[in-house]
Amino acid sequence: MIRKLLCAAAAASALMVGVAQAKETIVWWDFLGGGDGVRMKALLEEFNKEHAGSIEIQPTTLEWGVPFYTKVQTSAAVGEGPDVMTYHESRMPLGVSTGSLSPLGSEELAAAGVKAGDFGAADWKAAQGPDGKQYAVPLDIHSIILYYNKTLLKQAGLLGDDGRPKGLDGAANWDAALAKLTTNGVSALSVPTADNASVWRVFYTLLNQQDGVFLKDGKFLDGDNLAKATAVIGEMQKWVKSGWTPGKTEYPASIALFTSGKAAMHINGVWEIPTMVDLAKSGKLFDWGAIQIPTLYTHPATWADSHAFAIPDRHGNPVSPAKRALVLQTIHWFNEHSLAWAGGGHLPASLPVQDSQAFKDLKPNSDYASLAKTAVFDPVSTLAGVASPVYDAAGNFAMPAMNGEMAPADAAKQMRDDLQNQAK
Amino acid sequence: MNAVAARLQRLRAFDRIGLIATLATLALAILWAFPLYWGLVTTFKPDDETVQSGVHLWPQHFTLDNYAHVLTSTKIGFWYVNSLITSAAVTVIVVGMAAGAGYAISQLRFPGRRLCWWLILASFMVPIPALIVNHFILMAQLGLVNTLTGVVAPQLIAPVTIIIYKQFFDSVPKDFREAAVIDGASEFQLLFRLYLPMNWGVTTALAIITFIAAWNLFLWPFLAVTSEDKMNITVGITQVHDAFGVRYARDLAVAMLAALPVAVVYLVFQRRVTQAIMLSAGIKG
Amino acid sequence: MLRSRRSEWLAAFALMAPFVFIYGLLFVYPTIKMIELSFRAAPLIGYGRWIGLDNYRRLWSDRLFALSFWDTLYFVVLSVIPSVVLALVVALGVNRLKGWMQSLMLAAFFLPYILPVSVVFRLWQWMFDKDFGVAQLLIAPLNDGQHLSIFRTIPLFLPAVALVTVWWLLGFNVLLFIAGLRNIPVEIYEAASLDGAGRWAQFRRITWPLIWPVTVLVFTIQLILQLKIFDQVYLFSQGGRVDATIVMVEYIYKQAFQLNKGGLAAAASVVLFVLIVALSVLQYQLLRARGAR
Repeated sequence: MIRKLLCAAAAASALMVGVAQAKETIVWWDFLGGGDGVRMKALLEEFNKEHAGSIEIQPTTLEWGVPFYTKVQTSAAVGEGPDVMTYHESRMPLGVSTGSLSPLGSEELAAAGVKAGDFGAADWKAAQGPDGKQYAVPLDIHSIILYYNKTLLKQAGLLGDDGRPKGLDGAANWDAALAKLTTNGVSALSVPTADNASVWRVFYTLLNQQDGVFLKDGKFLDGDNLAKATAVIGEMQKWVKSGWTPGKTEYPASIALFTSGKAAMHINGVWEIPTMVDLAKSGKLFDWGAIQIPTLYTHPATWADSHAFAIPDRHGNPVSPAKRALVLQTIHWFNEHSLAWAGGGHLPASLPVQDSQAFKDLKPNSDYASLAKTAVFDPVSTLAGVASPVYDAAGNFAMPAMNGEMAPADAAKQMRDDLQNQAK
Repeated sequence: MNAVAARLQRLRAFDRIGLIATLATLALAILWAFPLYWGLVTTFKPDDETVQSGVHLWPQHFTLDNYAHVLTSTKIGFWYVNSLITSAAVTVIVVGMAAGAGYAISQLRFPGRRLCWWLILASFMVPIPALIVNHFILMAQLGLVNTLTGVVAPQLIAPVTIIIYKQFFDSVPKDFREAAVIDGASEFQLLFRLYLPMNWGVTTALAIITFIAAWNLFLWPFLAVTSEDKMNITVGITQVHDAFGVRYARDLAVAMLAALPVAVVYLVFQRRVTQAIMLSAGIKG
Repeated sequence: MLRSRRSEWLAAFALMAPFVFIYGLLFVYPTIKMIELSFRAAPLIGYGRWIGLDNYRRLWSDRLFALSFWDTLYFVVLSVIPSVVLALVVALGVNRLKGWMQSLMLAAFFLPYILPVSVVFRLWQWMFDKDFGVAQLLIAPLNDGQHLSIFRTIPLFLPAVALVTVWWLLGFNVLLFIAGLRNIPVEIYEAASLDGAGRWAQFRRITWPLIWPVTVLVFTIQLILQLKIFDQVYLFSQGGRVDATIVMVEYIYKQAFQLNKGGLAAAASVVLFVLIVALSVLQYQLLRARGAR
C-alpha cells in the first residue's frame, strides 16, 4: 500500500517539477532569508537559465542559524542532505569537529578553477579546519552597519553637508545623539533586541573597539576583559533603559520600525541593503543612507563573518566525484558572478571582483567599504560561530541584560562561566 | 398561594442567572473565535495595512495577493501532497491493522493473546516523544530518514484504535456470530462481512480522527525530514524561509492554507469527529 | 474440533501479524534500545562505549536538565488545571443552550482544537506581536502604556504558551464534559427541583459527583499530554533565550540533534518515560479512589 502511495507521490512530484532526464541536478541549501536572499534567488535563476539543459540547481532556503545547522548536522550523520550548502566561516572549527564537512582537495579545486590567490589570505585560511585542510570556498565578507534616516537626522542637526551623519563617535556623543533623536513616537535606534545573533554582533563590535579579547588561550573574558564586556553590556542596556531603543524587538519588526520611519537609525547586517534599495526603488522609503558602525570607544572595529560554500560529509552516502566536480564549478561560477551578490550588500570574497571598477562604483557599498580594514572575526573555537555555544550565551546572558532583565556585571560573569564550563 | 409566589420568584431569579450565564458563554465563545478570525482577515490585507495602528475588523483594500504569492513562490504544493500521502497512509494502515488486531483479540482464542493485549495497554501509557531519539536511529539504520515511509512508520503506534475496535467487537451479539459460523463463514468473512459493516460508523470516526492527528503532527516529521520537498505542511511553514521584508500577512496566509483541509474535514464530518474524540477518550458517544 | 482450533489460530496469527510486526519494530525494539543507549557514551549515530550510570549521573548534576524538569512540571500546572476548570464551566454554559445556538458555540470552542500546532503558533505570534499585535491593546495599559514582547519576557513565556495551549485544546475537554453532562438523566434534576434544591445545591449534590469520573479522565489525558510538551515551546522560543524556558522533550532534542549526544539524550528519555508512566498510574489510582468514596 505504502509503496503504491509513494509511487503516486513520486509521479505527482515528477509532474510538478517536470524533470528532464539528461539534466544534472545540484541540491542546494542556504540560510539566506534576509534581504540578500532576493539577490541570491535572482543569481540562482540566472545560473539555471545559463545552464538550461545541462545543470539545474534545486535550492532550499531554511531558517537561518540553529534550525539550519541542526538540519545540516543530523542530515550529514545519516547520509542525507544537499550536494552543496552555504556555511559560515565562523563556524568552521565547530563544523569540522562534528564531521559535517567534507574536505576539498587542492586538485579538484584547481580543476574547477578555484584558486587560493583569488581570495584574501585571511579569508581563505578561515575556511580551513584545524587540520589545515580546505573545507570551504569563501563567497563574501559581511558585517553590520548603521542605517539612517536622513530626514530625521537632519531635523536633529546630526547630518553633515555630505549627507553622512556627524557627531556620533565617542560613547558620550553617541548617547547624546540617541537622546536627541528620540521624540514622541520615534525611537532613535532599532536593533533586533530579541535576536541573540544581532545582540552578539553589536556586543562583539563594541568589545573590540576597546581591544577587549573574548577568547584567548582557552580562557573566556580573561582578566580586565570581563570589565570591558560589562561596560559594553551596560552601554547597550542604557539604550533600551533610556527609551532610545525598543527592547525585545524581533528581527523583522526591528526592520519594519526603521523602514516605517518609527526609528531614526537601525543597526543590522549589510544583507538588509536590498530591503532598503528595493523599497526605495518602488518609492516607499525615505532618503536613507548606511555607514560603518561609529566608534564608541578607542578605535574603529566591526564584527564580521564570511559566507562560504561547502560540501557536506554525508556519512555512507558521499557526494559522488562527478557531482563534486560539478559543484565546485558551480561555486566558481558564483564567485565570478559575485558582483550581483555584492548588490546584496556584501563585500565579495573574490579579489578580481573586489578590485573591479564596477564594484568600486557600487552604491551604497562604497559608503561603508572602510569597515573591511578594521573587521574583526569571531573567535576561532569549536564553541564559537553561528549557532554555537557562544551565540547561545549571547542570547542567554547579554540579550536579557540589554533588555534590562539582568545586571550587566552578572551577565558578563555568567557568560564567562557558562562558556568556560563548556570548554572543559 | 404564598408557596406558588415563592416558586415563581425563584424561577424568575433562575432566568436572570440563566441569561447572565448565556451571555457569559457567548462572550467567551466570541473571545475564542477571535484569534482565528483576526488571523484570517489579516491575510486579506495588503502589507502596509497589517502594520497600521488601530483595529480594522475588515480590510480597507481587500486583496488576495498574499495567497497568490504563497501559492506561486513556495513549495506549498509539495507540502500539501506530502501531508496528504503520509496522513492517508497512516490512516489506512492504522485502521486496517487495528481492525484486524481488535477482532482477533476480541473474538479469537490463540496463544500470546494476553501478552498482546498487555502490550497494547502498556503502549497506551508510554510517551511516544520519549522514543524520538531511537526512532531516528532506527530510521537511519533502515535508510528511511528523509523518506515519506520514515515519516509514516513511527506514527503507526496508535493503541487507542485497537482498544476501541475491541470494545465494539466485544459488544456485537454472539447470536450473529454463531449464525454466520453455521453458514460456514471463515474468520475473514466474519470480520469483513459482519463485524466491520456493523461498526461502519466507528471505522469512519476512527479514520477521520487518525487523519487529522497525522495531518497535525509536528515533532516527528520535523525530525525525520531533511529536505524541503519531503516536508509536510506543518513543518514546511515553520522551517522554510521566504526572503522578504514585511511578511506577517504571508506567514498567516500560508498558515490558513495549512489549516484549510482539516477545517473542511471537520465542518463536513462534524458529528463523526466529535464521536471519534469521545471514543478515543473512552466514552461511547 | 482440533481442526477448527487450528484454523482459528491461523486466522488470529494472520490478523495479528501486522500488529506484531509494527509494534515489535517500532515500539518494543526502540524502547529496549533506548534503555541500552542510555548506558553508553554514544553520539546520535554511531557506537559508544559502555559507561554504566554515568549519563544518569551527568543528568543529575546538569543544571539545564533540572531546569527542563521543573519547567515541564510548571507548564503542566499552568496548562492542565485552567484547561480542566474552564472546560467544565464552558460545558455547563453550552449545555444549557439548545439547537443551532449550541452547535455554533461548540464550534467556536472546538475549531482551534483541530488546527495544526504550526497554525496555532502563527496565529498567536501575530496576536501578541510586540509592535503590531492586536493583543498589545490590552497588554500596554497593564505595562505603563508600553508594548511588551510576551514571548521574549522569560517569566511570561511559559504562562503565555500555557494560555495558547488552553485556547488550542479547550474544545477537546469541553466535548468530553458535555458528553458526561448529557449522560446525567434529566429526571434527577426534576426531582431535586421539586424538593426545592437550589442551583448550587443541584450542582454540588448531582452534577459534580456524576461528572467526577469524566473530570478524572480529562485530567489524566491532559496531564500525560502536557508532560510531553515540545511543539509550542520550541516554536515560540525559536531565536530567543531557548535555554531559559527549556522543557524535557526539548532537552532531549537539544542533546540528541544539536549537541550530538545520543547516550545522554536516551538517559533523559528514560527519565521522562518513567516519570510519565509512574505519574499516570499513580494519578489514575488516586483520583479513582477519591471518586469511589
